Amino acid sequence: MKVVRAELLKAFTTRLLLWYGLGLLAVLVLVISVHVGSDDATSLSAPDTQRMIVEYAGLAAVLAVLLGAVLVTAEYAHGTINQSFLAVPTRERLLGAKLAAAVLAAIGLAAFGCAVTLVLAELWYEGRGIPLELGGGTLTPFLGALAASALAAAIGVGVGAILRRQTLAVVLILVWLLIGEAIINVVGDDASFAPGHAVAAVIVAHRDGNAARLGLWPAVITCLTYAALLVAVGALLVSRSDVESSVS
Amino acid sequence: MIEVANLTKRFGRTIAVDDLSFTIPRGRITGFLGPNGAGKTTTLRILLGLALPTSGRAAIAERRYRELESPLETVGAVLEASNYHPARSGRNQLRVLATAAGIPTARVNEVLNEVELTAAATRRVGGYSLGMRQRLSVAAALLGRPELLILDEPANGLDPEGIRWLRNFLRKFADDGGTVFVSSHVLAEVAQIADEVVIIHRGKLVVHEEVAQLTARATGATRVRSPRAGELLERLRAIGIEGEAVAEGQLAVHAPPDRIGDLAAESGIALHELVAETGTLEEAFLELTGDSAP
Repeated sequence: MKVVRAELLKAFTTRLLLWYGLGLLAVLVLVISVHVGSDDATSLSAPDTQRMIVEYAGLAAVLAVLLGAVLVTAEYAHGTINQSFLAVPTRERLLGAKLAAAVLAAIGLAAFGCAVTLVLAELWYEGRGIPLELGGGTLTPFLGALAASALAAAIGVGVGAILRRQTLAVVLILVWLLIGEAIINVVGDDASFAPGHAVAAVIVAHRDGNAARLGLWPAVITCLTYAALLVAVGALLVSRSDVESSVS
Repeated sequence: MIEVANLTKRFGRTIAVDDLSFTIPRGRITGFLGPNGAGKTTTLRILLGLALPTSGRAAIAERRYRELESPLETVGAVLEASNYHPARSGRNQLRVLATAAGIPTARVNEVLNEVELTAAATRRVGGYSLGMRQRLSVAAALLGRPELLILDEPANGLDPEGIRWLRNFLRKFADDGGTVFVSSHVLAEVAQIADEVVIIHRGKLVVHEEVAQLTARATGATRVRSPRAGELLERLRAIGIEGEAVAEGQLAVHAPPDRIGDLAAESGIALHELVAETGTLEEAFLELTGDSAP
C-alpha cells in the first residue's frame, strides 16, 4: 500500500493531473455546448438524447488511457525510474503500484468529468428551458464512464510498460484511437472487439449489445483481457531489461 | 560489504564488464577508477539492480540488490544528478522516495538539513543548479540512514566549493563508520579521500590496493640540483639513465636517488639537492593501464 501511496504522490506533486483535469473540462465544455446549443428542443427532450449527453463524461476514458501510459513513461523520460527502482527493487511490484495508482487517478478524473457534465447539462438545459430528466437509466453512463476510465488507465499502463518511451506511447495511442479504430471499423468483421470500441461500449453501458457494439459485460471482459495481456507483457519486458538512465 | 564475482556484462558484441571480481570491506572509502567507458557505471548499475548481468554475481551485504529487505536502509546511491522530475520540488522528490520505502517523512527534513538544502526545499528541481541537484541526490541516498553509500561520478560538474563539500561529507560519513564506494575519473579527488582503489580498464580488473601502495608504484622522477647539471646528465645518459633539464642547474632523472648519488660521487660532481618525487595516482594509473589519462 505504501508503494501505491508513493505513486499517487508522484501524480499529485506535478501538474499532470491538473492539466488532464483542465483538458477534460475544456473538451466537455466544447462538446456539450455544441450539442445542446445547436440541437432542437424536441430532440433534446428525448431520453436517448439526454442519455447521450451524459455519455460525454466517458471522454475521461480517452485521457485515462493517456494518463496510465504517462504515469509509467514519464519516469523513464525524466530518469526518475532509477530512484523508483532503488526504493522498490521488485519491478513487478512497482508496476503493480503504478497500475493501482493509475486506476484510482483515472476514477478520480472520470468522477470530475461526471460532475462537470452534470453541471454543464443542467445549465444548458435550464438555459434553453428544457427539463432534464435524470433517472437511473440516464445516469447509468456515469458509472460506465468511471469503469471505462479505470479499464482504459490499466490498458495505458500496459502500453506504457511495453514501450517505455513517452512520446512514442502518446502518439501511438492517439493514432490508434483516431485512425486505427476507424480502419478496423471499415475492414474488420468484429470491430466491436477492438479496444476503443470495447471501452466505448463500457461507457454507454447498455446491457445488451448489437452488431456494432458489445453489451456491457462482454465489453468489460474484453477490456479486462486487453489490460491483463498488455500489463503482463509490459511487466515481463520491464523486469527483464536494463533500466536506461532516461529515454523520451 | 560489496562482493563482485566473475561479473560479465555484454551489450551485443561489446563486453562492458569482463569477468570482474573484487570485494569491498566495511568502514572504508574505496575509489572505483577507470577511464571513460571502462565499465564503472555498468558495474554500479548491476550492483544496484538497475542492469542485469550477463553472468556472474554482484552482491551487497551478501544479497543481490533485489533481495534486500530494506534497500534504502542498507545502501544509498547517488547516480546522475538529472534523475529528477523538473516540476517536482526537492522536498516532494524525497517525500515520494520516503513513502515508497516506508521511511517516516520527518526524515525528509533531517536529510535536507544535512545537505544544507532546507531553504530551497520547496523550489522545483528544474530551477536547481547542478550542485544543488547533487546535494539532493546525496539527501535521497541518506534517507534510510544506510551503512553503505555508492556514488557514480559525484564530482561531475561540481564547482570547487561543491567538491570540497562532497569530500568533507564523505570523509565524515566514513569516519562515522559508513562504507563508501565512489566511482570517478577525477583521480586527484579520489586520491584525497579514498583509503583504497579498484581500477578497471576495458571491463577488467587492473588492480585493487591501498592508495598509498598504488602511489608508491608510480615511477616518480628524482629531482637533482647541481652546479654541473649538464655534465651529470651526459654521464647519466652514457649509462642508459633517462633524464632532462627542467631549469637552470636542475634535472628530472628517471632513476632512484641512490644510483644518481653514487654516480655523482664517482664523478666528483657536487650535488646541492637530490629528492625522490612521490608518484601521483595519475602516473600509477597510466603505468597500470598503459592508456591515456582518464
